[in-house]
Amino acid sequence: MTPRELALVPVAVALNVAMGVVVAQLGLPVYLDTLGTVLAVSLAGLRCGLIVGGVSQVVAALNVGAFMLLFMPIQALVAVGALLACRAGGLQSLPKSLAWGAAIGLVGGAASAGISYVVFKGVTAIGVTAVVSALRAIGLPLAWAVTGASMSTDLVDKLLVLPVAGIALRALPLRLRYRFPLVQRATGLTG
Amino acid sequence: MNELRGPQHPWTLPSVVLSVLVLVVVVPEPWGPLTVALAGAVAALVLGPAAVTVRAAVVCFIPWVFLILLHGVFGEAPRTSVVGLPLSKAGLATAQAQGARLYAVLVWSLLAIARLDPSRFLDAAATSGRGVSGSLALVATLQAIPRLGERASRITAAQRARGLRVRGSLLARLKALAPLALPLVLGAIIEADDRTATLELRGASSGRPRTALQQVDNPTWERAVRWGALALALGALGWRALR
Repeated sequence: MTPRELALVPVAVALNVAMGVVVAQLGLPVYLDTLGTVLAVSLAGLRCGLIVGGVSQVVAALNVGAFMLLFMPIQALVAVGALLACRAGGLQSLPKSLAWGAAIGLVGGAASAGISYVVFKGVTAIGVTAVVSALRAIGLPLAWAVTGASMSTDLVDKLLVLPVAGIALRALPLRLRYRFPLVQRATGLTG
Repeated sequence: MNELRGPQHPWTLPSVVLSVLVLVVVVPEPWGPLTVALAGAVAALVLGPAAVTVRAAVVCFIPWVFLILLHGVFGEAPRTSVVGLPLSKAGLATAQAQGARLYAVLVWSLLAIARLDPSRFLDAAATSGRGVSGSLALVATLQAIPRLGERASRITAAQRARGLRVRGSLLARLKALAPLALPLVLGAIIEADDRTATLELRGASSGRPRTALQQVDNPTWERAVRWGALALALGALGWRALR
């Protein structure tokens, strides 16, 4: 790993975890645990984003059980989606961030639903499982309930992650922005 | 760390956890996951700290309730009566097996993290002569998490003192997200930039092997445990594929 990756990975992973503190204080039904991954991709490229996603899941596994390692592909999908968004200037404005957030949320949610159904039998994080239970209570089959819950929660989550990342990157001081070419491309700001 | 019995090398228990992750999925229900869970509880009681057996049960409690709800209550017929509740027979079996899997993975994971000494982990990587960047990233991450968590709480307190409302309608709470998240994110990016310069100054990009502060013993029996865990996981996967 390069010094930049070595410095960015711990901070970005810690950001993924710290956002959990922020949303818990606000009582929001989302996780925002991929914000660090999206920022890492914007600042240091796909490889760094993949490492951040992987280490994030390892840290989650250490805290809530090694099953969390099975969600590593979702972090990888988010990293790839963030790279595409950055290259396409997807963080230039709020509408563009929302559109990319929706796309990444739907893809990530579909993949997450598959893992939740096959490996976890529908029982994962408390918020998502509560939605699954509600959908089962109105008569939906388990597979559809898991898909609906995963896709809706991931969609809402990424609809917040991408705009927050965009606003933060656009607010970076000029001296920092000049050091990250992908940030300039993602936000459409050249200083 | 010295008062804990059993494996002392920081890679041994994480290797066992990875093996457990494979085993609980491939061993046959209902006894397979239960056995792995029981083995984890016994390992925690014997090796210590024993408290992880209780902590794992506490963390698993809500998922267990949801498993019974989703598979027992909402499951298919035929049904059986459990403390007066008509529950799906097949659903109960699924809930029991999945509940045992969750507990097994959690108790082994908590045991590994409770016994993990980050500096020994880094020294073990340096002693092995392989690259340390992966271990350094993991250890630095474990140190950064409480720091950023604390900073998030401080930012919330400061913004609330300035009049930010963090309660109320969903829209009001969403509006409060940016004033809380942005200082945290910008501070994190600036911190990473400063650390990049520090690491470069300390020769992190030189590519030379790092010197271990303390040599970490890697006894034969611990190496055998790690290879055994790998063999067990591969064997279970092979057995499942051939079944």
